[in-house]
Amino acid sequence: MNERRPYHRPMPGNWWARPPYRAYTARELSGVAVAAYGGVLFAGLVSLSRGPESWDGYLQFLRSPTSLALHVLLLAAMIFHVITWFQTLPKTMPKMIVGGKHVPAKKITRIATLAAGVASLVLVLVVLGVAR
Amino acid sequence: MSEPVMSPVMSESAMPQKTFELRILRYTPGRDEKPAFGSFKVTGAEGMSVLEALQSIKDTLDGTLSFRWSCRMAVCGSCGMMINGTPKLACSTLLRDLPPGPVTVEPLQNFPIERDLVISVDAFVKKIESVYPYLIPREQKTVAEGPHLQTPAQMAAYESFSDCINCMLCYAACPQFGENPDFIGPGAMAMLQRYNGDSRDGGRQKRLDTIHGENGVWSCTAVGYCSEVCPKSVDPANAVNQNKTNSAFDFFLRFLRTEQPQ
Repeated sequence: MNERRPYHRPMPGNWWARPPYRAYTARELSGVAVAAYGGVLFAGLVSLSRGPESWDGYLQFLRSPTSLALHVLLLAAMIFHVITWFQTLPKTMPKMIVGGKHVPAKKITRIATLAAGVASLVLVLVVLGVAR
Repeated sequence: MSEPVMSPVMSESAMPQKTFELRILRYTPGRDEKPAFGSFKVTGAEGMSVLEALQSIKDTLDGTLSFRWSCRMAVCGSCGMMINGTPKLACSTLLRDLPPGPVTVEPLQNFPIERDLVISVDAFVKKIESVYPYLIPREQKTVAEGPHLQTPAQMAAYESFSDCINCMLCYAACPQFGENPDFIGPGAMAMLQRYNGDSRDGGRQKRLDTIHGENGVWSCTAVGYCSEVCPKSVDPANAVNQNKTNSAFDFFLRFLRTEQPQ
């Protein structure tokens, strides 16, 4: 019998860029967009605390084409993040048993996504109402 | 309207025959510096499985080809391998379902290769052992006191996790296990949840104490591919991720514990 000599195959360094992991990488990267938008909002808060001049500058930036393009990009990434977030949700919670039976993962995803959509819509309407 | 035709069961020889090409990653310890592909052509029934093709190669072309198998019906979990780059059971993967052209067969990803398609399972078995993979009764009962009863809902809470066949496809699918071989991994966590989710079990704390930290649940980044490749729909990703919550709770509430870790 030969002596044991297990061969260790190296992991490819770019595994995250290849299928089937690409979808996962895209999901995680879209989290960066969420953080970036947090940064945009935080910049507004900082300029507000610095006084009216700074605040006007911030508003001017928001109206610029660069900012509009950035917002469209961030919104798209954010929506992607929301959808994939709720697809992952059933994996992160204990099994839901209703009436002795499993609630299917797809159902949990659907209900949660819908709830998030409705909550966002209500928030937008409230903000529009307050702004008027 | 024509008469319904009863199709007779075809004998092996009457079945349409087809030739398939398999590219197999070969490695013989002591002889080979590193693994290399070898190509084989097999002729057999159109509906032949990858496992049957490997058996045919071993019988007729190269008797030294090494691979593990046992039940041939997706129950024993022995014949896991990478087929065209995807972790699959060779016995339940039919060649006709794969795209035309040569089929690539490699040992399971992320495991040390012992020989050809055989990988080392020692570390995996140790991980399974580490999570106390047996029922630790919540209350001791004598035979006269009767069995530990369970409702269908209580059983549904863990039943799917008990379907695990230890085939290790989930480990081959997990990039975090690839990065950190000490990560407890999806399969052992499914085993842990099978018992922690059981209403009759009282060993929850003991098991939780084994999964804190980097080599416990926290190496997982919720890639989720482990659950996709699972041939038994065990959903090991769920077992790992719901225990992140349990591990976090246990960390913050450890001062309120009544039961001390052993």
